[in-house]
Amino acid sequence: MNGPSTRSGGLFRNNPVAVMLVGLCPAAAVTGRVIDALWMSAGLILVLLLTRLSLEILKAFSFPGSGTGHMTDWLSLLFLASCFTASFELVLGAFAPDESAGLGIYAPLIAVNCIVLDRLAGRGSQEPAGPGEIGRSLGQASGLGAGFALSLIVISLIRETLGSGTITLFPIGSFGGTIAVGGISLAPARALVYAGGGLLCLGYLAGAARLVRRVKGAERA
Amino acid sequence: MSLLGIILTFSLVDNIVLSRLLGICPCVGSPGGMRATAGTSAATALLMSLSALAAWALESFLLRPLGLEFLRTPAFVLAVAGLAGLLDVVARRAVPQLLRAAGIPLAGIAVNCATLGVVLIAAKGGFTALQSLVVGLAAGGGFFIALTLLTAIRERLEVEKVPEWLRGLPLHLISAGLLAYAFMAFDRAFLSRLFQGW
Repeated sequence: MNGPSTRSGGLFRNNPVAVMLVGLCPAAAVTGRVIDALWMSAGLILVLLLTRLSLEILKAFSFPGSGTGHMTDWLSLLFLASCFTASFELVLGAFAPDESAGLGIYAPLIAVNCIVLDRLAGRGSQEPAGPGEIGRSLGQASGLGAGFALSLIVISLIRETLGSGTITLFPIGSFGGTIAVGGISLAPARALVYAGGGLLCLGYLAGAARLVRRVKGAERA
Repeated sequence: MSLLGIILTFSLVDNIVLSRLLGICPCVGSPGGMRATAGTSAATALLMSLSALAAWALESFLLRPLGLEFLRTPAFVLAVAGLAGLLDVVARRAVPQLLRAAGIPLAGIAVNCATLGVVLIAAKGGFTALQSLVVGLAAGGGFFIALTLLTAIRERLEVEKVPEWLRGLPLHLISAGLLAYAFMAFDRAFLSRLFQGW
């Protein structure tokens, strides 16, 4: 697949959360507020892109074990992903300490996110990493990252709007960052912001994605 | 916190799957039956407790004294991966038939977010070595409870008539959500009345 089609595939057709059902833990755990979902998505996209770029560069220089699928490949992947995750944690803690506290232990867990590990470990290609290969790899990673972000934003919008009656975004100037949703904020369905609410939303989102695929398949047939 | 308090907290009140929402993929996506569930849970509990102990040692003797707390994530990830590799080698030599029969994916357990999550919680909680070990075991016990309940629900749902668009993983996730609400009954205050002084 070329770059653009891979990106749109990761966004809708092969959405990691709603269709491929990987990376479910942060999708259920950090979607109580929209801003947490945005930061988690940003962190995952950064780690995914930087880890994949580093692996492709290592492969281009024929670093021992890179791209062979051996244990060294797996360990170098884990090491790179965890180092980039630690860097993201440090930057987030320095510039947005409240949001860093909001993500809690889920920020370091980006290092072992199924999307990062599955998609990177599943490669193991022996092809020399030319500029085209690197571009295609990064296109695929950005598509998956965007798909993950889309799912998290949809789930967090549903959960926060219905569960708290607010939408929390970045505070800019006189805007405090919180939008109260008229009507719902007076009597929100609190159950949705609890742990079970995340799993319920995830389950219905996965079901809805399947229903859409079936309807589209039936239309094509 | 007493050891009983740690066990009750990490197996029921702060259940790693149903309260912290970690390790959802192996819980809702595992196709195995009760035997595989028991094997996976036992391996997870063992790995969690050993990893929590290793994390305590790393935190107490290396990261904190040298001011290297910012390296916590890479250090813990590599420690967990190394321990899982070691356990895998030992288990393959000691009990190969048991591993095959139970279908325990040690490599998968090694890097799932539940294991690393427990390690991070134990390290940040300021527990002693023994407490860290018990935290890992109790969290593994909580993982076993959640996995067993979800496997039982899944086996029951397979023979029920359900909407086709929800069959499989979507319905497992919804079941897990409802179970998470049920686990909210394990309130810290409620349990502290049951076990005075925990």
